[in-house]
Amino acid sequence: MSKNFTALGSIVVFTVFLFPGGPAQAQAQCKLGVPSIKVGVQGVASGPLADYGRQIEMGATLATEEINAAGGVLGCRVEMRFMDDENRAATGVKNTRLLVTDWGANFTVGTDSSGVAMALGPVLAELKRIQFFTHAATQRLTEELVAAKGIKEIVRVSAPIYQDAIVAALLFKDRKDIKRWATIGADYEYGYVAWNLFKETLRKYRPDVEFVGEAWAPFLTLDFSPHIAAVMAQKPDAIFATPWGGEAVQLLRQALIQGVFDNVQVWWQAMGGSVDVLEGIAAEVAKDRFKGKLWATARYIHNWPDTPENKAFVERFRKRWARFPNYSAETTYSAFFIMKAAVEKAQSLDTVRVLGALKGMQIRNPAGVRVFRSEDQQFIYNVPAGRPVIDPKYPIPVLGDLKVFEAKDYYRNPPFTPVAITK
Amino acid sequence: MTGRLSPRFTTPLLALLVLGLFLLPWIAGRYPVYLAMQILILAVFSLGFNLLFGYTGLLSFGQAGFFAVGAYGSAKILLAVPNLILGIAGGVAAAGVAAFLLGILSVRHTRIYFSMLTLAFGMMIYSLAWKWRDFTGGDDGLVGVPRAPIDIPGLLSISVAAQDRYYYVVLVLSLLAIAAMYRLVRSPLGLTLQAIRDSEIRTEFAGVPVRKYRLVAFTIAGVYAGLAGALLAPLENTVTPPIAHWTMSAEPVLATLIGGIHTFGGPIVGAFLFFVIKDIIVRYTEYWLIWFGVIVVALVMGFPSGIMSIFAQRPK
Repeated sequence: MSKNFTALGSIVVFTVFLFPGGPAQAQAQCKLGVPSIKVGVQGVASGPLADYGRQIEMGATLATEEINAAGGVLGCRVEMRFMDDENRAATGVKNTRLLVTDWGANFTVGTDSSGVAMALGPVLAELKRIQFFTHAATQRLTEELVAAKGIKEIVRVSAPIYQDAIVAALLFKDRKDIKRWATIGADYEYGYVAWNLFKETLRKYRPDVEFVGEAWAPFLTLDFSPHIAAVMAQKPDAIFATPWGGEAVQLLRQALIQGVFDNVQVWWQAMGGSVDVLEGIAAEVAKDRFKGKLWATARYIHNWPDTPENKAFVERFRKRWARFPNYSAETTYSAFFIMKAAVEKAQSLDTVRVLGALKGMQIRNPAGVRVFRSEDQQFIYNVPAGRPVIDPKYPIPVLGDLKVFEAKDYYRNPPFTPVAITK
Repeated sequence: MTGRLSPRFTTPLLALLVLGLFLLPWIAGRYPVYLAMQILILAVFSLGFNLLFGYTGLLSFGQAGFFAVGAYGSAKILLAVPNLILGIAGGVAAAGVAAFLLGILSVRHTRIYFSMLTLAFGMMIYSLAWKWRDFTGGDDGLVGVPRAPIDIPGLLSISVAAQDRYYYVVLVLSLLAIAAMYRLVRSPLGLTLQAIRDSEIRTEFAGVPVRKYRLVAFTIAGVYAGLAGALLAPLENTVTPPIAHWTMSAEPVLATLIGGIHTFGGPIVGAFLFFVIKDIIVRYTEYWLIWFGVIVVALVMGFPSGIMSIFAQRPK
């Protein structure tokens, strides 16, 4: 028995010493009277989408370091803690409760998954803490939970699903050679809503267009060949594709193998402008295997806008992490500076006062000028669409031949009408 | 209780523990209370699982399916009728019916064949949760599940919307479930299940309808999983498909192995350790899976019969 206790004791001691912790150093000159401003951050950091969470963490870390190096927020040091939400709503909720009620987070930032984001909404209202969402794209987060249900603790910094769907409709509405569209869609709400919004918008401009095929790929699909074959059997002129991350890379490679780019005029890969996708298809882009027919966008692309702020941000990010910033990195980085500006204006960490300070905010971020819209607490900004191309200035492909649309032309506006969220 | 510690020691210790649990909202912050609810829910889930595994000798990889049926059942009712009693009872009943129906097919086999069948049925429920969007909300799940009042029309209506109040619902129901299971495993039914585990052929020759007993154990395990799920839905305000995934089925397996399959309290202690170890690690690294794995391996190798083997011997 004593041997067993010794073994148990060893494990406990091992755990405690392995993960030591200590109180944060107080900052004497903090005008808010707190030892530090605590910001809890979470994203997917395990599993096949882990790079998105990693990019969130990199953006948050860089922002924290830069803010602290410049004297903090009203003299208060910013303290950041990142947690893996495992792409599971239950874990995201548990993390938020830990970060707010145990660690004492003043704000939370991040969240990749729409499902996790929707689960967090009621919890944020209960805890009375603001979360700046930096990736989750479902329109329901802002249209339903904020505008309709009044959960004011939700603020979204990243572009929602309008970017994926409505931009595509505006981009291709004048292509008279494209009359037959088909989708290879993500088999969950994101895929359905993107396709429905795209169809709804394009029909307004092009009543002659037909939507001839749909194939839905569940999360973590590895073999897209049956989906590709199913839609190609309908002889579409163009494909609207919404699988993202590593799935998008796999889908595009299999489409090349099946000769899709010999038979369609356009392939729209909604979030294909993400750094991980561009890295994944670098060899194919270099050989021009997509024949200029592949188009994509993202919630931020590192080669646009062509401003000193953006260039400097990308340079600092590359120096710090030896990677290009993905959109979830930029949106998270910017969320910290939005939080900083709001706290400085409110002169307080109080949720209601900080929300008040966000009203009317226009802020220049690496992605350009973001404007806060009070009705749904969505920050509005432009992101262009383009074709993946090789640019000698960059070691990975970038989106080129950029088409810029004004955000006011492609963001849905309040009062919101419901969007079909089924196939 | 058969063990090395005498009841003179364990009874006051358990009384103190229960008292501590009742006083927890006064002596601890909001997060420990939330964590305690999660531990209690996993303890109930694991106890049901161990009735199958430790007491009947059937390793199920599909218990998350019944956990999800309980959670979705409870959520659907609570979203339609804001009455906590109806919600939890409905979730438990739905899980019990699902377990009974799938149990009829599953208990026809044992060993790896039983495990694979339960894995397949569990993943079928997962697919239903994912695909039956009109009913389950698909990947976004059911959002805004209320912590509805305990309502008996004309008699009483108690609000449990606040987390501390809901804690007592979880605590009382969990303690009742634990007490019921304690009685069950010492009843003739429990002893018969252990006899089936030890020698199926000998028990059958004694005239025991083995398959029927296994079905009873399977259904009870499903009811416990359903209760755990039904308690989770109002706690989290949300139910999403991953709770039906096989990785969720692994949680009671791990908790039971850590705590010990051959002691009644093993799954409860395992649930506590499972959450506490993970909770400590995730505070310090996002690579928590590696460290969690290392510690679980160390625990399983250091205590092959579970942590509770320190205190108790295998029940006769």
